[in-house]
Parts: sequence; structure tokens; C-alpha cells
Amino acid sequence: MKLRKFLTVKILLAPELRITAMPMVSLLIVILASAGALSAQPAADPPHPDQQTIQTLMERIDRLEARVAQLEGAKRPATTETTAQAPSPPEPMPATVEPERMDLSKTLLHIRGFGDVTYHGDNRKGDTTSFSLGQLNLFVTSDVSEKFRFLSEIVFEAGPDNAVGVDVERLLLQYSPNDYFNLSAGRYHTAIGYYNTAYHHSTWLQTATGRPLLFEFEDKGGILPIHNVGVSATGLIPSGSLGLHYVAEVGNGRASSSARAEAVQNLVDENNLKAFNLALFVRPEKIRGLQVGFSGYRDVLTPLNQSRIGETILDAYGVIVRPNFEWLNEALVIRHAPEGLSRVFQTPGFYSQVSKRFGSYRPYFRYQYVNAPDHEPIFGPVYNAPVGLRHGPSAGLRYDASESVAVKLQYDYTLLRNQQAISGLALQLGFTF
Amino acid sequence: MHRRARVLFLFVAAVSLFEVLPSLAQGQTASEEGLAIIVNQSNPVENLSSAELRKVFLGEKSHWTNGRRITLVMMDPGPERKTMLRDIYHMNENDLSNHFIHGLFTGEVFVSPKTLATPVEVRKFVFNVPGAIGYVRAADADSSVKVVRIDGRLPDDKEYKLRVQRSGK
Repeated sequence: MKLRKFLTVKILLAPELRITAMPMVSLLIVILASAGALSAQPAADPPHPDQQTIQTLMERIDRLEARVAQLEGAKRPATTETTAQAPSPPEPMPATVEPERMDLSKTLLHIRGFGDVTYHGDNRKGDTTSFSLGQLNLFVTSDVSEKFRFLSEIVFEAGPDNAVGVDVERLLLQYSPNDYFNLSAGRYHTAIGYYNTAYHHSTWLQTATGRPLLFEFEDKGGILPIHNVGVSATGLIPSGSLGLHYVAEVGNGRASSSARAEAVQNLVDENNLKAFNLALFVRPEKIRGLQVGFSGYRDVLTPLNQSRIGETILDAYGVIVRPNFEWLNEALVIRHAPEGLSRVFQTPGFYSQVSKRFGSYRPYFRYQYVNAPDHEPIFGPVYNAPVGLRHGPSAGLRYDASESVAVKLQYDYTLLRNQQAISGLALQLGFTF
Repeated sequence: MHRRARVLFLFVAAVSLFEVLPSLAQGQTASEEGLAIIVNQSNPVENLSSAELRKVFLGEKSHWTNGRRITLVMMDPGPERKTMLRDIYHMNENDLSNHFIHGLFTGEVFVSPKTLATPVEVRKFVFNVPGAIGYVRAADADSSVKVVRIDGRLPDDKEYKLRVQRSGK
């Protein structure tokens, strides 16, 4: 009886034998049966038989343990080897670390914020030096599933009347089955050239205090259809080390019926004509940071009391962007061709921006040029955008006070046709949180 | 004015060339222990070129050939992460952070990397997530995960590029 108890305790204490129930039960039956038989031995047995029996049984248990381990090892070879090398074999992870499954009990939202405050002034008549709240940008993404992702930019911004308004600047559901085809639907930044896709509503991400004149937002006198509502397909074109990519978009285009119309046609398109955009660019493996590309945008504008106007925007660029060095070069032409008129209004423009980082400091220089015809039929009357020649240099210094805060000082000198040149100075605090 | 602009353009072009040339002739750094790139055992990938590995870890490549979305696993700051930053990313910590913020912001990067503290956690994560890719010291890799060849070489090969200082253990 003592022996039976001893063996039972021994087996219960052996952790490795608790892993699988069936071999354990068989083993237990065998051992208990053996123990029962032993306890029924006649008294004629030699004295002190327990020690020898125990020894025999222990050897037998060892053999059986080895056999059980061997059989289990045959079933799970990977985990056996792991056990041999590391004390803790891989265990199934809790659901929270499985990024590809939707856990309904938790929010899937990731939020990052951007903001800026600027003190600026210039010599233009009527302008005052001011502290200005920039855009408070909440960038919200959600990893909906393995192939779907949600992305949005919700921007709080003060207008010229100092009242703060809210805009959904981007709202996209992205479907990404592979590297060659990604489909997005919603409101996006039109893939015209480089700057409009590389930089959105955050000054902190940009080197300079603001966007180039060519890529100003619609509500700040911009002349391009910066935003669009529609669908966009992007992806990689098999091209080896060349790294050829495409972007194809179709959307409502920019409103053109009147100066009062909201520029971005979020809900209703004013006509049945859609805007198309196609962009191609390469990122060669050999030259890190280099991107060269072009894009073509086509829409038909329908201003009230005017004939239709065909709009074509062609853009070409070459940029090198590295952590320590940046050189952006981009040129485009906007072509407006009113139906029934032989005259075509062409607005060329370009910018070149270079910067180099020295520790936390990054001096930069930008030269930009836009030349819109004085009688441009859309920019002035419909977009409330300035026309004529505007060009000049900007020079500045960016200081990254921390990994999330940047201070920028920038001087702008803008020459205007038949007007006094504008000198402006801006000090900006940009941050992410 | 045109002459000045031309001179300025040529100057910037020359500076750019100095920036670009070093990347065309990268040197090899010598260290003591291989850093293994590991993927899930179900992943069909066996070999990656250095350029492909960089694209994967930058988030520029988002799917494996079997259609699984790539999930990046990084380790907390330490020698292993230092090797990745130096030899794969060519960036410092701040640049890496900015890269992913910018990538997520433009929509080009689908998901930012997951950061884990120990090689055991990295191994467990890769073991459990079919599209995961991470890195551990070669000695910390086991058969629960698959070690990927880089430019056709395994961490034990002499010509293997990813090296990390041997730990004192």
C-alpha cells in the first residue's frame, strides 16, 4: 500500500507526464496493476523486496516516460526542439497581439494629431502682423481587417473671420489585396505631381512653413483641384529595380459653377462629367530617395453663363528625399480651353526646394514661379485666386527642438507683375502629438 | 538673373551628387554575430535581397507572395535594432519614426511596426502571425520560425551582411 501511494505521488508530481491524458492513464493503470500484484506477493519472498521492486519499477517508469516523450515529439517536432533550446516554447498569443483579426470589444482607431501656431507679417498694404492658429489636424486610421483600412483627416481651422470650422479633409476606405492593386474610395488628395501626395494637412511634416504657391489649398486661393471625391487605384508595376508605380483616379473634380460653390464636391457633382487623373512614377533601387514621375489630369469645367472649359493639368517632377537631404523639383502647366474659342489659357508654374540637415538644424531654400494669364477665365472669376506673375525666393531655418516639435523661421520675397514686391517673415511652431 | 539661377541650380545638383554617390558603393561592416531575419513557417519566402528586405522593413512592400499582409516586428532599442537602423534603414530613431508617420499619413504604409522587448516575444509573435517578419540574433532563432536567406546567405555564412555585436551572456 505504501508503494502504491509512493508511485502515485511520484507520477502526479511529474509535470511532463500531465501533458497528454491518454498515455498517462495507460501508464497509471500499468503501474497500479503492477503495484497491486506486488502487494499480493506471498510471504516467502526474500526479505526487503521493496527496494529492488522500487528500483525495477523506477527503471520501467523512466523507460515509459522516455517513450511518451518520444511519441509526443513525433507529433509536434517544432515545439519539441524549441523546448530543447529555450525553456518557454511558443504559445498561442492572446488575441490582442493578432493584428489581423477584428476584436469587437476594442476600438480599432489610431489617432495622431498635428498642429501649428505662426507669428507672421509682411509689407502688403492692409496686412497686419498676427499670431495665427494653424490647422489642428486629427489623423485617424483604423486597421479594419487584413485587407481593409480606414484613413481620415479631420481638420479644425480658423477662417478669415476668425471663426473655427471643421473640415473632413480626407476620408478613405482602402482595399489592399496585394502590392499591385490597391483601391481607395472617398475623399483624397489628387495625385497631381509630387507635393500634393507627399504632404497633406500638417506643417510639421513639411520642411517649410507652408506649401508652394502652386499647391495652396482651394480655400486659400489655390489654383489646383487639390482634393477630389471618387475612387483611386494605386500599385506597383512589375519592373524590377526600376520601381515603377501607377495611380489612376476618377472623381467629381473641382466645382466651377460659381465663386460661391464649395470647391470640393463632397456630396453632389454639378455635372455628369468626371475628372480623370493618371500618374506614373519610378523609385529606382540604385538611388535611394529618388523619385521621378509625371501626371496628367483632365476635367471639363462648367461655369455658369459661360461655355464649357476643358481643363488639362500636366505635371512632371524629380525629387530626392533622404533624412539628411532633400531636393524637390516640380513643374506643371494648367491649360484651360473654352469651347468655341480658339484661345487657350496656359498657366505654367514650378518650384525647386532644397534643404540639408545639420544635427537639429535644417536650413532650406525654395524658389517658386506661377504665371497665370491676366484674363484667365476660371482662376479669378470662379476660384477667387490671384492671377498674374508671382515668383520669388524663400529662405528659412528649421530647428527640431524634439522629435515632435519643430520651430521654423522663414523669409519670403515674392515679386508680382505690375505690383510692389511682398516681403514676409514667419515664425512657426509645428508639432505632432 | 538667368545666369545666377543656372549657377545655383548647378551648385545644388553638385551637392545632390555628393549625397547620392555614397549609396552606390556601400561598405560592409564587420561584427561578431549574425542577425537572423525570421518569418512564420507557413511563409513561402526563402530568400530576400537586401533591397527587398529594405522595402519590406520600410513598409514599401505590404504583401507577401502568398497574399498575406506583412506585419513588421521590431525590437526595443538595443544592438539588434541598431544593426537594422544602420544596415537596412540607413536612419536614426527619429528618422525611422518620421518615416512611418509620414508613410501612414500619405497612405503608402499600411501598418506601423510592432515593437517587442525580447527575442522570445519576437519569436512567439512571428510563430503566431502568418504574415509577420522580425529579427533576432541567430542564436535566438529556432525551428518554430523560418530564417530567411539574405542575398542567398544565412547568418552563419561569412559573407552575411547583418551583424550584431555578440552579447555578453
